[in-house]
Amino acid sequence: MSATLLSVRDVHITFGGVRVLEGIDLDASRGEIRGLIGPNGAGKTTLLNIICGIHRPQKGDVLLDGISIVGRKPSEIARLGLGRTFQASQMFGGMTVLENLIIGLHRRTSSGLLSAGLKLKRHRREEAEMEEAARRALAFVGMSELAERPATALSFGQQRVVEIARTLIGDPMIVLLDEPAVGLSANRLTELDGLLRRIRDQKGVTLILIEHAIRLVMDICDQVTVLSSGRRIADGTPLAIRNDRGVIEAYLGKDLRARHQAS
Amino acid sequence: MTPFSRRNVLLALLAIAIAAPPFANFYHLFVANLVVIYVLLAIGLNILVGYAGQLAFANAAMFGIGAYATGLLQVQLGWSFWLAFPSGAFIAMAVGLAISLPALRLSGLYLALSTLAFAQATQWVFLHWESVTFGAGGFKTPPLSFAPLPITKPLGLYYLSLALSVGLFMFAQNLVASRVGRALVAVRDGEVAAESLGIDLLRYKALAFGVSGFYAGIAGGLYSALLNFVAPEGFDLFQMVLQKSMIVVGGLGSVAGAVLGAGIIIVLLEALRAFKGLQEIVFGGLLVIFVLFMRGGLVSVIKRHVRGWEEPLRLVQSTAAPAPEVIDTRPSVADR
Repeated sequence: MSATLLSVRDVHITFGGVRVLEGIDLDASRGEIRGLIGPNGAGKTTLLNIICGIHRPQKGDVLLDGISIVGRKPSEIARLGLGRTFQASQMFGGMTVLENLIIGLHRRTSSGLLSAGLKLKRHRREEAEMEEAARRALAFVGMSELAERPATALSFGQQRVVEIARTLIGDPMIVLLDEPAVGLSANRLTELDGLLRRIRDQKGVTLILIEHAIRLVMDICDQVTVLSSGRRIADGTPLAIRNDRGVIEAYLGKDLRARHQAS
Repeated sequence: MTPFSRRNVLLALLAIAIAAPPFANFYHLFVANLVVIYVLLAIGLNILVGYAGQLAFANAAMFGIGAYATGLLQVQLGWSFWLAFPSGAFIAMAVGLAISLPALRLSGLYLALSTLAFAQATQWVFLHWESVTFGAGGFKTPPLSFAPLPITKPLGLYYLSLALSVGLFMFAQNLVASRVGRALVAVRDGEVAAESLGIDLLRYKALAFGVSGFYAGIAGGLYSALLNFVAPEGFDLFQMVLQKSMIVVGGLGSVAGAVLGAGIIIVLLEALRAFKGLQEIVFGGLLVIFVLFMRGGLVSVIKRHVRGWEEPLRLVQSTAAPAPEVIDTRPSVADR
């Protein structure tokens, strides 16, 4: 068992002639929170989509726990232990909050057509265990009282948290979070900060975090990778990134860099 | 506490369905049998369209395949009904599984069109493969006998249909309130998110097509025995519209809704049979009303006004049943 859990190696992808990612490398060690930042259009979400199997890179490889996952179906990669959340809400609208959480256990359960349709004993036991686990997960994120609500009745921020819990309940080794802080108030942001830390510290889950809320990134990430226009322009600790010339330029432009450094 | 819960209402309907036939005339029994057959069709179609969200138009064809297979295995190969009937259902299921393969690549309108094309092709085969299917004129099936049971054919077939419907209704109810049913709803509500949770789209779309094919195949076999006759026109586009309206009127994504929809549509069609022309008008008007004003169908209105009609997508354990109430009645944050 090596320390590196996820390894992206020299990934290239073009869409209709546009080079979206050019030779991206990214490593994530077990139990770390790795930030993935960069200006809009840098290719961050595309990189996540490649890792989780939605896009296939023209060149390069992605290893999860030493296994190459390029070319596998997203559902297969998910079953190997990779979870993800999305920029836009992806709650299942026809389900309650509790049911949304229970479905996060899909990859760890096995009831099929016949045992479910005939309500066999094994299936009933599995269902009971799933419900209990889902209620525990809701308690973990402090939302027990919302269990029976329709998923769509939650606020945007609440949906975010439930989505994270839904991904975590499947016990993944690694979770890709695509801008979890978008649209959250300052209070909610602090809660999210605490939640992500608890996920890493109590559950030992590796996190890859795309985020524009720089304060959150600098606060909780162990390592940060910076993309700009499809290239990796920096990689290191938050402190190193904060003082990196190239990063400041990419974010602020050359003029503002001078003011930033003066302040 | 909840005298008009779904369970109680459906049990009452079942009691009537069991007790009434000895007092019914031949025609009423025929209509009742038709309702029971359409209940099967509507449940199967609702699993595919209402739960899995696949807008497919092949159910009438699979109904026809079940009827033709059951009939032809008896007529052409001399099989007994009791062997031909289950075989027909499994053949329809296999066809359902086969058409799910292109369905993985297609969605929405394209899926609708390709399954419609499949249904038309099936019609064409029924019509033109005359050496096997007897063409446009159709064919008579051998008379069905329930001997040695002391029961007439209409009554025997009715109770057989009813027993199968009740069994397959319960199977469907268990299925949708399970890991499998939730996976189907997840595929309907968000394919990308479903995949990210490890749900294999192909597997669950194929499962939905296979289940609906099996239900339609069972219905087809019973239908061929009910009419003692099989012909292509029973399985045309109007048949598809009929089945779709049942799940729209009853309620998309509701097993109980499919039962109500099948009952209402068939009884209405029969009641209006005397007034030719009015049938289409009332039928079309009903569809427009439901599509415009009652999207969730009849069952959504019932759910809003009557307790005990909820259809959770999980198994509510009898011992754990009070649990949600415990949570509801806990003092809210403001009270503490």
